[in-house]
Amino acid sequence: MRLIRKGAHRGRWVALLALVLLVAGCSGGDTAGDDPTETAEEFERGAITVGSTDFSEQEIVASMYAAVLEDAGYDVERRFHLGSREVVLPALEKGDIDLYPEYVGTALEFLNGGKGEATSDTEATTEKLREAFAAKDIAVLEPAEAQDRNGLVVTKETADELDLETVSDLKEHAAELVFGGPPECPQRPLCLQGYERVYELKFKEFRPLDAAGPITWAALEQGDIDVALMFTSQGVIADKGWVLLAEDEELQPAENIVPVVRTDALTDEVEELLNAVSAKLTTEAISGLNRQVDSDGADPAEVAEAWLREEGLLD
Amino acid sequence: MTALWRWLADPAHWSGPNGLAQRLGEHVGYAAAATAFAAVLVLPVALWIGHTGRGRLLAIQVGNLGRAIPTFGLILAAFTLFGYGLTPVYVALVALAVPPILVNTVAGIRQVDPEIVEAARGMGMTEPQVLWRVELPIALPVLMAGIRTSAVQVVATATLAAVIGLGGLGRPIVDGLAQGVTYNPAARAMVLAGALGVALLSVLTEWGLAAVERRLAATRGGATHWNITD
Repeated sequence: MRLIRKGAHRGRWVALLALVLLVAGCSGGDTAGDDPTETAEEFERGAITVGSTDFSEQEIVASMYAAVLEDAGYDVERRFHLGSREVVLPALEKGDIDLYPEYVGTALEFLNGGKGEATSDTEATTEKLREAFAAKDIAVLEPAEAQDRNGLVVTKETADELDLETVSDLKEHAAELVFGGPPECPQRPLCLQGYERVYELKFKEFRPLDAAGPITWAALEQGDIDVALMFTSQGVIADKGWVLLAEDEELQPAENIVPVVRTDALTDEVEELLNAVSAKLTTEAISGLNRQVDSDGADPAEVAEAWLREEGLLD
Repeated sequence: MTALWRWLADPAHWSGPNGLAQRLGEHVGYAAAATAFAAVLVLPVALWIGHTGRGRLLAIQVGNLGRAIPTFGLILAAFTLFGYGLTPVYVALVALAVPPILVNTVAGIRQVDPEIVEAARGMGMTEPQVLWRVELPIALPVLMAGIRTSAVQVVATATLAAVIGLGGLGRPIVDGLAQGVTYNPAARAMVLAGALGVALLSVLTEWGLAAVERRLAATRGGATHWNITD
C-alpha cells in the first residue's frame, strides 16, 4: 500500500474522456455481418450453431436439436439463453446462429408486425410463417404437436378472493392489479398489447421482470405482482398451486414448437433429424420436462437427452 | 443519435411508473442509501482500528478481498436467498461500497504523523479527543476520497438492480435490449438513454463529492488533495 499524490483535476478529465468515448462508441454504425463464405465453409466441415431464447423450455428443446445433430456427427456449437426473440431472430438472420426453436403464432405476429394473421389453426399459421420467413432465407420445418402459449397466472388466494377463472374475469379488477412479465411484453401484439385490445385489461402497472422465470415466480409468490405472464406448458404453475386463467376470447393463436433454420445450413439430413424430434414432441411431454427443470432444478441438457433416449431418437 | 434525442424529447418517456424520472429517482435512491449505510456501518469500526492499530492488517486484507467479489454474482446469489425485492440489491451494493471506505479510513488515520499524536497526548488529551480533534481532521481528505470512490462505483453498479426485476437506470438498458435493438430504434434509444444516464450520474457524483472535499479541505486550512491506491 502506498499513498500517491494526485492532481485534483486528473480524475475529472479521465471521467470526461470516458464519457466522450462512450458516446462515440454508441453512435458508431452497425457492425458488419459475418462473411457468408465463412459460414458456408464451416458448414461443409459439418459445423452448426444452435441458439435459444431465454427460458428453460427453449433451452430444453434447443438441447434436443443439438443432441440429435451431434449424434449424427455434426460439430455443434450451443449458444443458448441469448435473450428475447428480439435478440435471437436477428442473430439467426445474421448467421450468428443457424437454428433455434420457435412458436408458430408469436413468430408470425412478430414478423408481420401484429397483423393478426396467426389463428388457432396450426397448419394455416405455419404456412403463413413459412411465407414470412422465406424472404429472409429461413426455413420453417415441421411443427411439433407440442404447444406453448402465453397465459395469465394468479395465485390461488387471488383467484379465490376475486373469483377469477377466465381472463375476462380480470376486467373489472385490472385497474387495481399489478401485472408482471418479460420486459418485451408491452411491445408484443400477443402480450400486453393483445390483453389490452382483446380483453380490455388496463392494469394498474406493468412490472418488467423476466421471461416467466425465477424472478416472476418470486414476485408472484411474494405478492409484489398480482398477475403474471407465464407459459401454458410450464409445469411449475400446477406445482406452486397457481391458477392459469382460461382463454375465453380469441387472443392466443396456435403456438406449436417448430425448428427454424437458415437455408444455407439446411440439408435433407438436418431436416430429417429435426423433424423426427418434432414428430415425438407433445405438449404433455414438454410440460413434464419443463417441470423437471423448473421445479426440481434438473439440467435442461440432461433432461432433453434422457427424453430423446426414451423416444429412441438417441442411442 | 437523432433517434436518441427524439426519444428523449418525448415527455411520455419521462413520466409514469416506467418513466426516466422515476428510474433516475430510484437509481439515486439505491446508490445513496447503499453508500450511506456502508459508511455508517464501516466508519466507527475503521476509526477504532485506525486509532488503536489493532486488526489493521486484517482490515486491509478484508478490504482488498472485498474488492474481488463480483457484484453481479453476489446480487444473483442474494436473490436466491432473499427473493424478489430490494434486499439483494442492498446486500450487493453495500458489499461493493465497504472496501474503499474501510481501507481509506484505516490508512488515513494510520498515516497521521506519530509525533503529532504524541504531542496531543502530551498536552493531556484523552484518547477519544486525540481521535476526534487530531487524527480525524488530518485524515479527512483520505477518508472522503474513500467515500467518493465507493459512491461512484455504487452509482455505476446500481444498474444491476434491473437484472433482478427492479428499477433504476438499468431498467431502460435491460428493457431496451429485450425489446430488440436490431429493428427497433426506440429500443436502441432507450438503451442509450439508460447508459448515458448512468455515465453522467457517475461523473456528476465524482465531481460533486470532489467539490465537497475541496470545500472541507479549504475550511480546515489544508490545500492538499490525497488519494490512495494499493
